[in-house]
Amino acid sequence: MNEFQFGDKIRHILNQGLSLDSRKAARLQAARELALARRRPEPVGVVASAGVWAGNMVGDFGGWTGLSLRLLAPIAMLLIGFGAIYTWQQNQRAAEVEEIDAQLLTGDLPIDAYLDRGFQNYLKTRAAEE
Amino acid sequence: MASRSELSAFLESVERRAFKQAVFAVRDDEAALDIVQDAMLRLAEKYGHRPAEELPLLFHRIVQNAIRDWFRRQKVRSLWTTLLSSLSPSRGEDDEQDPLETLQAADGSNTQEAPAEQLERAQVLEIIEQELVRLPVRQREAFVMRYWEELDVAETARVMGCSEGSVKTHCSRAAHALAAALRARGITL
Repeated sequence: MNEFQFGDKIRHILNQGLSLDSRKAARLQAARELALARRRPEPVGVVASAGVWAGNMVGDFGGWTGLSLRLLAPIAMLLIGFGAIYTWQQNQRAAEVEEIDAQLLTGDLPIDAYLDRGFQNYLKTRAAEE
Repeated sequence: MASRSELSAFLESVERRAFKQAVFAVRDDEAALDIVQDAMLRLAEKYGHRPAEELPLLFHRIVQNAIRDWFRRQKVRSLWTTLLSSLSPSRGEDDEQDPLETLQAADGSNTQEAPAEQLERAQVLEIIEQELVRLPVRQREAFVMRYWEELDVAETARVMGCSEGSVKTHCSRAAHALAAALRARGITL
């Protein structure tokens, strides 16, 4: 038996059986639309996001002409600093998740990780050993 | 990074196959719908920014994990049911081995007479689906990933969390078992 030819024939037959009743089809469509609505956006750079965030804050207070420069400058620097720290923390968290993804896709993740209850527990243990 | 339209197109292309594959595993349409919905959400929320070519591997991995979680919850649920309802000390042995490695489908399906040579396409499909359900879990996973999802051996190994050699073994056994089962029911492809 040629396994590939057999698998190819099975695939063609299985693809003929993908019709669903309207309720199931509607539920899958709704699930897909919900997933798209919750799609994770692309992480942005630290400086760009902090600048945009600070700019929005300044705009909310009526712009530069509405405030004294002596009062506004330190406040603006403080806000930019907070924004940068927040964005950096978010990117760090994203980088940790991407590290897991990369290990997962490249097969570097030890088999024990798959037996763990959660990948986070495994990462904590590994971090302690390093 | 996969665009919204790329993610949408991928989910639309895979959702029905994923549903059928989940049904083969859990044999419950509602549970299968829940599994696919959860997998879609997880893919979009956690990996929606990944490149489009990574989406299939990630999604299938998520679906397989969700199916395993479903079986574990079912096992815990039945354990509690047994503990709470049973007064007699009758219990089975603890199985150290991962039951998914050799789990066979329960023989609850109707055994039909060997069909005539010329079968309707729907009857052939139904029989193939029945026999896929009866395969051991890992054999079915490997066969479906390789030949229905058209992943290569390395990709299938990453999705299943096993070696490439194991994938080839599972696929080979699944193909031979499926072919033998179909022949027994009068179907030769």
